[in-house]
Amino acid sequence: MIGAPPSRRRVAVVTGAGLVALVAAVACGLGVGPTPIGLGRIATSILADLGLGHRTLSPLDATIVWQLRAPRMVLGLLVGAMLAVAGGTYQGVFRNPLADPYLLGVAAGAGLGATIAIVDVGGGLATPTWTPALAFVGALGAVALTWVVGGRGAHAGPSTLILGGVAVAALLTSAQTFLQQQGSPTSIARVYIWLLGSLATASWSSVLLVLPYVAVCASVCVAAGRALDVLSVGEDESRSLGLPVSRVRLVVVAASSLGTAAVVSVAGLIGFVGIIVPHLVRLLVGTSYRRILPLSVLVGAAFLVLCDTVARTVLAPSELPLGVVTAVVGAPAFVVVLSLRRRTVT
Amino acid sequence: MSAIEVAGLTVRAGEATLLAGVDLAIEAGTWCTIVGPNGAGKTTLVEAVAGLRRPASGTVSIGGREIHAMGERARAGCVALVPQHPVVPPGMSVTAYVELGRTAYHGVLRAPSARDRDVVADVLERLDLARLAGRDVATLSGGERQRAVLARALAQATPVVVLDEPTTGLDLRHQVTLLALLRREVAECGLTVLATLHDLSLAGQFADRLVLLDRGDIVLDGAPREVVRHEELARRYGLTLRVVDVDGTDVVVPVVPSVTAR
Repeated sequence: MIGAPPSRRRVAVVTGAGLVALVAAVACGLGVGPTPIGLGRIATSILADLGLGHRTLSPLDATIVWQLRAPRMVLGLLVGAMLAVAGGTYQGVFRNPLADPYLLGVAAGAGLGATIAIVDVGGGLATPTWTPALAFVGALGAVALTWVVGGRGAHAGPSTLILGGVAVAALLTSAQTFLQQQGSPTSIARVYIWLLGSLATASWSSVLLVLPYVAVCASVCVAAGRALDVLSVGEDESRSLGLPVSRVRLVVVAASSLGTAAVVSVAGLIGFVGIIVPHLVRLLVGTSYRRILPLSVLVGAAFLVLCDTVARTVLAPSELPLGVVTAVVGAPAFVVVLSLRRRTVT
Repeated sequence: MSAIEVAGLTVRAGEATLLAGVDLAIEAGTWCTIVGPNGAGKTTLVEAVAGLRRPASGTVSIGGREIHAMGERARAGCVALVPQHPVVPPGMSVTAYVELGRTAYHGVLRAPSARDRDVVADVLERLDLARLAGRDVATLSGGERQRAVLARALAQATPVVVLDEPTTGLDLRHQVTLLALLRREVAECGLTVLATLHDLSLAGQFADRLVLLDRGDIVLDGAPREVVRHEELARRYGLTLRVVDVDGTDVVVPVVPSVTAR
């Protein structure tokens, strides 16, 4: 029907495609690498662990799969899911299509925190091992600062908050750049690599570190879908419909920011996922956040792991920055979907 | 007890006083229309009654309850708003849009209940929107869209509905259709309506009572037949007005020097 929102069938098809992409991403994450390890052998090894059949993986291959690739793949799923759902949530709560998870200064704050750790400011006061912790604190500190600068966000309009984020990001980025310049050439290179984002340092401990944050924060974001749909008629109207706008904004901004801070602290500043995945999903299933947000979790997770597979294989043994791959893969995909959709609409 | 009780309502924006101690009581099951020149404070009054504008002083009570003391959800069960320029989100079906009116009942974490869906289906039927239920609300014509906005307000099932220039941008037929639908709700469901309108003839035809607001204060208040004939009305608009009785209906016409006669 002309002018009808996407049908249930279409949503089901897109969800199915997303699940297929997710399975493909998991398979690539485990199977693809400098040492090719067949998925069949990985599967039989899992069955062997369950007491069915016998092992077909050598101890070295098993280590590669379970201690290197698997944690990296799982971390990629978590980071991609969180960035995508946080971006979609920000787009909804600020009613701004250009919003991404770094809107309120998370990236600048995390960058400053990480730089302080890597450049070793204060001679031993902060060490590179502190990078995740300081990045996390920096990210949350930046959002808190934005909230205060933007007129205690809950009561000020969203544009005041966004402008507050611009100011805070500019300030913290300049501080970060200054500190980076004070470091040795080695530390400057490490800061640079961190800023571009990577999953190379993934381990099961980093997975366990971010898992609770992602589980809780992504769930809160997904649960906010209905509230964000109400908010799509504007603040005054949604208030008159019974939506506690200030409270909703506080809760979803807190959840998006906390989750983003957690994933950024272990993976650095991976760009583009948070803005492109929700838009891609929106083009496919329409404007309801009840569909966009859960599908962003799915597609974001699959997208990031597939991009990471590209990042770690095309120039192996060296790696491409993950942020570069997300943009190079994501932008054309986005353009294709955009043009296909335009063709179906006109 | 009045359905709407406005007492000493003063609203300021910076230095400007938008409403200066307005007192207004509206009986349940009646329709009161606010008229007045641009900048009179009509929209401010409607928004204050809908709870969207905090008064500097004074109170607004609906059904005896002070609305600025309530949370959004409780207030949405007392008063529904049809804004002058509603935001129409693209990609939302008419049903989903009207269902937004049930938000206060099912909350933002639960799906609409069977009862919510029944109310919505009933409202769609009453406003002749059932055949458009699956359409994207952003693709509706102006008249259909405004009916959808009214449907959303009626789905809130509140005793009071406030409307700010609900006929803006509609052709004559759609203006009359919309106001007639609302009139039926007043007559059949005991709805209390507070509306602003620019068209004095339509305002007089559909309302039980007309209130002339100017510079944030009530100037005239009474039955439409009296208010439209009062010399103060013409003076406040800075015009010469003529009231013509057409088969018992008052038609208010501004008298302007003929352009062609010049």
